[in-house]
Amino acid sequence: MRSRTVQGTVAIAATASLALAACGSGAGGPQSGGSGKLTDDKIVIGLLNDQSGVYKDLSGPNSKTAIELAIADYKAKYGDKAVAKTIEIVTADHQNKADVANSKAQEMYDRQKADIILDVPNSAAALAVATQAANKKKLYINIGAGTTKLTGESCNKYTFHWAYNTAMLARGTAGTITKEGGTSWNIVYPDYAFGQDMNKSFTKEVTAAGGSVGQSIASPFPSDNFATFITKAGEGSPKVIGSMHAGGDLINFVKQFNQSSLKGKAQLAVGLMFITDIHSLGVDQFAGTQFTDAWYWNFDDQNKKWADRFKEKTNTRPSFAHAANYSAAMNYLEAVQEAGTDDADAVVGKLEGKKINDVFLRNGEVRKADHAVTHDVYLAKVKSSAPEEWDYEDIVKTIPAAEAYGEANPACKMG
Amino acid sequence: MSEQMTAKVDVDLAQPSILSRRNPLRYLMLLGGLAVLVLLPYWIYPPVAMDILCWGLFAISVDLLLGFTGLLSFGHAAFWGGSAYCTGLIATHWGVPFPVAVVGGAVFAMLIAWPIGYLSVRRTGIYFAMVTLAFAQMLYFIANQARDLTGGENGLQGIPRSFFGIELVEEDSFYFYYVGAAMILVGIFIAWRVVNSPFGRVLTAVRDNPARARALGYDVERFKIKAFVISAGLAGLAGGVFAISHQFASLQELMWTTSGKVVLVTVLGGIGTLWGGLVGAGVVVTLEDFLASSGFEGIGLITGSIFVLIVLLFRHGIWGTGRNVLRRYVLDRRKRARD
Repeated sequence: MRSRTVQGTVAIAATASLALAACGSGAGGPQSGGSGKLTDDKIVIGLLNDQSGVYKDLSGPNSKTAIELAIADYKAKYGDKAVAKTIEIVTADHQNKADVANSKAQEMYDRQKADIILDVPNSAAALAVATQAANKKKLYINIGAGTTKLTGESCNKYTFHWAYNTAMLARGTAGTITKEGGTSWNIVYPDYAFGQDMNKSFTKEVTAAGGSVGQSIASPFPSDNFATFITKAGEGSPKVIGSMHAGGDLINFVKQFNQSSLKGKAQLAVGLMFITDIHSLGVDQFAGTQFTDAWYWNFDDQNKKWADRFKEKTNTRPSFAHAANYSAAMNYLEAVQEAGTDDADAVVGKLEGKKINDVFLRNGEVRKADHAVTHDVYLAKVKSSAPEEWDYEDIVKTIPAAEAYGEANPACKMG
Repeated sequence: MSEQMTAKVDVDLAQPSILSRRNPLRYLMLLGGLAVLVLLPYWIYPPVAMDILCWGLFAISVDLLLGFTGLLSFGHAAFWGGSAYCTGLIATHWGVPFPVAVVGGAVFAMLIAWPIGYLSVRRTGIYFAMVTLAFAQMLYFIANQARDLTGGENGLQGIPRSFFGIELVEEDSFYFYYVGAAMILVGIFIAWRVVNSPFGRVLTAVRDNPARARALGYDVERFKIKAFVISAGLAGLAGGVFAISHQFASLQELMWTTSGKVVLVTVLGGIGTLWGGLVGAGVVVTLEDFLASSGFEGIGLITGSIFVLIVLLFRHGIWGTGRNVLRRYVLDRRKRARD
């Protein structure tokens, strides 16, 4: 019954996203497509992410489907006028290791002739890819990683940060919970770039909102056993215990937290959550948890239509990372179309400062100063029970782009 | 376990080399090897070719201990990774040409190898393996905690590859390969010299019968420490070139799995053969590269199965088995010629 409705909406969804994509391209619109100059006569999109580990569900292989949808929409939109006639996707698994990501990125740019690399969850891996992008002078749009270093110390001309960052998550979640009375915090974070960054951002926002952070506890990444860290986090009876873990680590942490004696004594705050995490553990385990979401599939009709197309192919609902991969791939192709070439500098020029409204980005802007892509984000609350599968979140409020992302990162020296 | 392993090798090594210095086959093989070395980056992706050589020298350094001194080190990642970090730090902070940085890394590896060797050579077999593993793990956690210096989980990124201002080598990994290969060759030559020297003879004696070596007046422990330090230096040389090649040093380099992988490569190539390390590295690195790009997830499954097969069927490793076949062939021909 349900799948039939889904099938029924596919046609509408396709046309809708086409229209959206057209809006997204802004005032520029389609340019003359005939004089396209592409290296090797094709566009190669590299998808580098975790295909087998703790971050597999939140982006992983399904990100490829999202990019395929973008390619289909691009081709349908421009038809014969498309600059990029042949578009290929190459994928690789970085196994959450920075060194693997580093050599895979190098290989994608050199050997597989990738024009752009997308996704790359895991901040340590993302920083390595950003360095390669700068070396090779090829594009890299990060989606999966959250570290603000990408738009700070490590920012460069060829790297964009599309979906979210740790500062934005902290502003939404830490600020709200502290103001609601959760004034004393203990934070547990995974000990690598992302976790360290999250810890810093959350501590800053909790303090700014009038709260205090008693302890910041580093845990190894990735990990199966958080028992000692949970016990330690209970010391000093804080009102809030903040878990800065992501993906499979978050699931393990919350599962073990809920089984510990701390459950009920302290409120659990989650730094970064993907809908796939809620799905894996069950909505009841997270019930009432507030967190900042960059996108939710059931937020409005536009999102839902795209999510239906996604479900058609993958049989799951998209996480915000999937939607962001679609958005990034689509806007990259639009920029190639506009520039008439896949030359990285030309494409960067078209992307910088661009205002975008599409299925993922609302009031989006590719900020020129630090290459952060700012957009409206949402404060979400996990429902106590799911009315239907995957319908897990209530959107409490929309946080406007300016408030969520603040000023451009002063640490970024674009050179 | 290592004692059994070396016992097997003894029999193998006891036979004298059939290829005397006069034998043209010897030079033909050397020439062939050099040709492969030169042509490698034409056939495969240059960074992968560089990886093969680095892992090859790394395996040779382990073989120097395992095959020729009878010590199974399970902590060689400490020297490979330690040198990778040290090389990276020297190149980043002092901006010296990378060969200098690599030599600095190798010296660092030898410096840390001395106390580690001093404390661990008193034990043999599984105990030696465990002690070296413990030291390597110690270094791993130090590197993880010294975040300001090593970058922690993020690793040391963007290591510069400066080479006297010659941009071809600095930017193109194809040309870089030849400079890197030259450095690796120096390492291989050192290993070859060590094995084929009076010092190497003593090492073999120490391996085969420590009591007799001691009775003959050799300070067994000192020879073991020396071998350990030389081996660490070679591992450091390989690790340094590896770090410069990838322009990256990460915790992975210090991880115990790296120590495990290099032992696997050595056994695969053939213990006590020296050249086997290169062959083993060629097989393992190309296989991993091939399987990783084929999108197949169980890389470990395949390399593991091959490892089991090799150990069961070709006990002397790929090179060792090949050498035995060649030896039998040559001896056969000689015998026939005599008859």
